Amino acid sequence: MSRRLRISAAIGLLGALLAGCSRQPSDELKLGSAIALTGNASLLGQDARTGLQIAEQHFGEQQPKLKLVLEDTGSDETSATLAFRRLINDRVVAILGPSLSQQGFAVMPMADRAGIPVIGISTTAPGIPEIGRFVSRVASPVTVIAPRSLAKAIELNPRIKRVAVFFAQDDVFCSSESSIFQRAIRARGLNLVSVQRTSISDTDFHIPVSNALRNRPDLIVISALPSDGGNLVRQLRELGYKGPIVAGNGMNTPNIVPVCQKHCGGLLITQAYNPALKNPSNAALLQQFRRGRSSDAVPPQVTAQAFTAYQVVHESLARIKANLRQGTTLIAMPETKLRQQLLSTLLAGTYQTPLGEIRFTPEGEVIQKHFSVARVSMSPDGRSGRFVLLK
Amino acid sequence: MADLVQLLLNGLSTGAMYALFALGYTLVFSVLAVIKIAHGAVFTLGAYFTFLLIGGAVGANGLLSGFQLPFALPFWLALVLAGLAAAAVALLIERVAFRPLRQRGADPLLALITSLGAGVVLVNLIQLLVGAESYAIPTTALAGLPAAIRLLGAQVRTVQLLLLGVAAVLLIALTLWIEGSRSGKALRAVAEDATTAQLLGIPSGRMIQIAFGLSGFLSGIAGGLVGLSVSIAGPYFGIGYGLKGLGVLVLGGLGSVPGAVLGGLIIGLAEAYVPADLSGYRDVVAYGILFAVLLLRPQGLLGRVLPTKV
Repeated sequence: MSRRLRISAAIGLLGALLAGCSRQPSDELKLGSAIALTGNASLLGQDARTGLQIAEQHFGEQQPKLKLVLEDTGSDETSATLAFRRLINDRVVAILGPSLSQQGFAVMPMADRAGIPVIGISTTAPGIPEIGRFVSRVASPVTVIAPRSLAKAIELNPRIKRVAVFFAQDDVFCSSESSIFQRAIRARGLNLVSVQRTSISDTDFHIPVSNALRNRPDLIVISALPSDGGNLVRQLRELGYKGPIVAGNGMNTPNIVPVCQKHCGGLLITQAYNPALKNPSNAALLQQFRRGRSSDAVPPQVTAQAFTAYQVVHESLARIKANLRQGTTLIAMPETKLRQQLLSTLLAGTYQTPLGEIRFTPEGEVIQKHFSVARVSMSPDGRSGRFVLLK
Repeated sequence: MADLVQLLLNGLSTGAMYALFALGYTLVFSVLAVIKIAHGAVFTLGAYFTFLLIGGAVGANGLLSGFQLPFALPFWLALVLAGLAAAAVALLIERVAFRPLRQRGADPLLALITSLGAGVVLVNLIQLLVGAESYAIPTTALAGLPAAIRLLGAQVRTVQLLLLGVAAVLLIALTLWIEGSRSGKALRAVAEDATTAQLLGIPSGRMIQIAFGLSGFLSGIAGGLVGLSVSIAGPYFGIGYGLKGLGVLVLGGLGSVPGAVLGGLIIGLAEAYVPADLSGYRDVVAYGILFAVLLLRPQGLLGRVLPTKV
């Protein structure tokens, strides 16, 4: 080896050593996500996937690196169980999901028993964080969300006296949301004139609609998922109902617009996500979401919640990493210890997310500061619509 | 009185949807004595074809994101073309999932499974291409017609009456064809015994293809009309109709065209008369009736008891 080559090699080696000493060694961990990409709830899953992919791009270059492992839970409990089993076997550091509360009650205990932190993205039914120590969620519970849109509807229409309720009885979230709505309706002294039970797989609602309209309601409250709920709204309007409609959180997505079209106009829905919020996370979400879409496109709430779930895990791991002794890595930590530390760090932190500032109770329930109620406003041709936040 | 009329119209229009779906089912069963489980997927495709042909654009998810045909056809023309496209898919299913097994003399149960496989592939292909979004045929598709009309004091959506009318027309047309035409008689001969029919000079294979093509056409038309009525609730929306259609098929009598319509109307009416407080249990009532009828008349309402060949 020539003298010049030896000197170059020595300088290169020294440079590499110095670079290694000046920063923490890199980490790459697997982050699992189990969401409904097929079946009736796949609209929710698609929205969540968009948020997760945007978060992965945004946090991709920051340490620790997280490799997203995406599994399809389908829209049933059996498929969700298989998806969670695969992720647990894949030794992921945490799991984001599933999409439905119904699935959550079936599969979150699995992650809890395995000691893997699991963060619900859109699971808003009561009782989710109480499933186990490792279970938390970024989706505010339906007990917090549901009464707000009802209150707004009554504020806008003080003469409301008679209320009809529709809910998909085969979905635990819709059932629990509806019972909260019904309690709130009674608590306000309103007359609950009709309760119609439907199914998330229903498409034809003219029988329950006729049954409800015979009771001449002044307000209709719906707890359903996007497809069935959108269809129900359309058929309510086509069969002559002109009064206000409050829609539950399951219908809180622009995906209802192609279903109920011009009839979506006027729907009142509580929002956990405000696209006008100014902070770096929301700016990143909006910027990435609008790539390939219109410049004023607004991410669905579930997209923002999925981004948030990814963000809280990433920030928590980054905090753990920052406190490691020089030269050690997250990967080198015992798996059980890392997951336990992730859980305690995650629950102790405060995060500036697209949902605004959030933190958690010791049980894993999210504490979110800001909510608003939106009214759906449709374009004259009924092809596009916006969620306009009400003051 | 108005309430009774409302219930009757609700039941008949719901029943018409089931009947439309079951017509295609029963046609294939009458020839092959096999249930074409992929029927629900072809029905779904008919709805998507109609949506695209009237100028609908694919949403943000799926490989065809943003795709839109460069033209927009009137609804009725789009519906017929969608029916033809669905017929082509049904023929493909016959070629891939049924014919190879038939040629090998395989157990009919195997055809049920390959048909199920074909249906699952189709549904997932739809989701891969156009995403899981719901799509709706614009409410303006029936230009000039009101969204709903009042009939004897009851409110009914115009599209439901259309479904009822189309189901009635198709029933009459199919019955006339099967009972009165030469090719219809040939189809019945194949249904009776394909081998004997072949020996008598009837091209059994061709008649089976005709049954599949017609079944696909009917399910495509049904998909487009139901899509107009209740929107296309994602790639899986035909599955629920598939299960209900199976019940209708059995109730009316396997392989009976008038039975499919009668079964559809009975189940539709049964659902309509379920009290409002028990509205979530409509399926229980519908299948309860099916169960009771089968106990008394195992061949279904209009089904025939075939003599045992010895």
